[in-house]
Amino acid sequence: MRPENIVWIFGTARTGSSWLSAMMGEIGGYSRWHEPLVGHLFGNLYFVRAGHRHEDEHFILGTPHRELWLDAVRRFVLDSAAARFPEIAGRNDRYLIIKEPQGSMGAPLLMEALPESRMILLVRDPRDVVASNLDAHKKGTWTADLMRKGGREKPPSLAESRPDDFVKGQARRYVRDVGNAKRAYEAHRGPKVLVKYEELRADTLATMKRIYSALEIPVEEAELARSVEKHSWERIPAEQKGEGKFHRKAKPGGWREDLTPEQVEIVERVAGSLLGELYPVRSTA
Amino acid sequence: MPVFRYRTVFDVVRGAKAFLNLETGVTRGAVPQATRMNVQGPSEDGIAPRNMIWIFGTGRTGSTWLAAMMEEPEGHEVWFEPRVGTFFDPQRFERFGGKHFILASQYKDVWLGSIRNFILDGANARFPELAGENGGYLAVKEPGGSVGASLIMEALPESGMVLLTRDPRDVVASWLDATRKGGWQTERRGEEGRRAESLAETNPNAFVRRHADAYLQHVGSAKRAYDAHEGRKVVVRYEDLRADTLGTMKRMYSELGVPMDEARLAKAVEKHSWENIPEEEKGQGKFYRKATPEGWREDLTRHQVKTVEQITAPLLEEFYPTGPAEQEG
Repeated sequence: MRPENIVWIFGTARTGSSWLSAMMGEIGGYSRWHEPLVGHLFGNLYFVRAGHRHEDEHFILGTPHRELWLDAVRRFVLDSAAARFPEIAGRNDRYLIIKEPQGSMGAPLLMEALPESRMILLVRDPRDVVASNLDAHKKGTWTADLMRKGGREKPPSLAESRPDDFVKGQARRYVRDVGNAKRAYEAHRGPKVLVKYEELRADTLATMKRIYSALEIPVEEAELARSVEKHSWERIPAEQKGEGKFHRKAKPGGWREDLTPEQVEIVERVAGSLLGELYPVRSTA
Repeated sequence: MPVFRYRTVFDVVRGAKAFLNLETGVTRGAVPQATRMNVQGPSEDGIAPRNMIWIFGTGRTGSTWLAAMMEEPEGHEVWFEPRVGTFFDPQRFERFGGKHFILASQYKDVWLGSIRNFILDGANARFPELAGENGGYLAVKEPGGSVGASLIMEALPESGMVLLTRDPRDVVASWLDATRKGGWQTERRGEEGRRAESLAETNPNAFVRRHADAYLQHVGSAKRAYDAHEGRKVVVRYEDLRADTLGTMKRMYSELGVPMDEARLAKAVEKHSWENIPEEEKGQGKFYRKATPEGWREDLTRHQVKTVEQITAPLLEEFYPTGPAEQEG
């Protein structure tokens, strides 16, 4: 597997990464790895559970042996990718899209381990992200269906019992995921592009063209247009859209209808720094 | 902090021993082979996986003491809590069951090989003096990574395994002491430690419940790994180690098939005996507290004892089958 033929999509859940990766995966020569969570595997230990042990030479991810374990992380990813996508291994003209929003915590480690890879930082207004998650985790929604398919029942969620606490937790998660993804993006010297969900919604084809151009990947415009059209919001059947569904409303700024003023204040307080950088026009709520 | 004092000693001793001849030997019995995995270089050129001994269990079971004794003989080193097991906690990933997940069962051969290489690379970089079949032994003190014991032992089936246990009531009592105001753990962990301290002080019953759950998770995972492991293995109880340290150490090495000179072992045991720890380093709130099996009878309330017994019942019955405290008295 050639690391330069890997395109990582980082950000956080509910930023449109399924939609973006579906459009990219549709195009000939592309395969899609849907949330391997390898970033979570390594990032959780490094940044959360053993954050105090970085300088300890005995710690498996200790700074004194950083190059060594980064190389091991690299091989971990490449070996797994090659086993899953043998059609890409060794090919110059084929690409692997790795949709990894929920592994964004480990983005700095993955991009340092695979500096030749290309990176998309996909962001969305944190208020809309939190609103989307609040809807998704209520009783009887698509997340419960997903768990049921996996043979489990969804436990009661804070989204129902203590929505403000849920909102706070989700805002913190946004800061953790997008914050780390952004750090990885800023440090990455290879091809990269920052994509806002709102731009993708406003002008999908133009934004997609900008993505391929920034990533220095050739794409045939007609094929891209076909893929954009196939995966457009308008083509999703009406019965698959709406409250409690995976495809909810795809409406930037919808948080004004979805969140209470107190919840907006919570998100803006917790994620204020990222909000200010990525969406500099502040709320009037 | 005593735990760091140990690590400093480890580092100094390791540096010095790199220049000395290493005591080596052959292990007894059949050693399982890693046949199905994507195995690469490290096992050929570096530390022989069969010369690695993993110590699993949970914190406050005497693993620092055991590791210190195991590091004394020439040609024996200790990797002090790499926490590699924390990566590979199957329970943490239960909800990610799909084929795309990096540790999906369909691709186990591939990622098991990656885990093996990941560990061996890390070991070889830190302990180059142990390279080769006759290079010496590496004990990996990994109680905090016991949740991943099953996958680690599956990735390294040739390695030996120690399942180190201690009465869960004493383990929880020890944590409660360590995490109270001014306790060694509180001081060591900064902000996180202060949060734990707060729970230990404000709601000790909840603290006890949480640590009993953690015991069940860690020792339960280590026990499952122990049961599945087909290579060399031994259960060591802290209480046996306290009652007859030399006898228990001899039994442990014998079960692991590691040759050990008895005089050297006796020296290591003597050097790290409880009696040789300075008095001012021992006592309430210190890393070396009281090392008294069944000290929980003085440390925990009746309610707390019952909580621990209920939560850890399967393990308590397995390793400490005398029954709950209520029935004894």
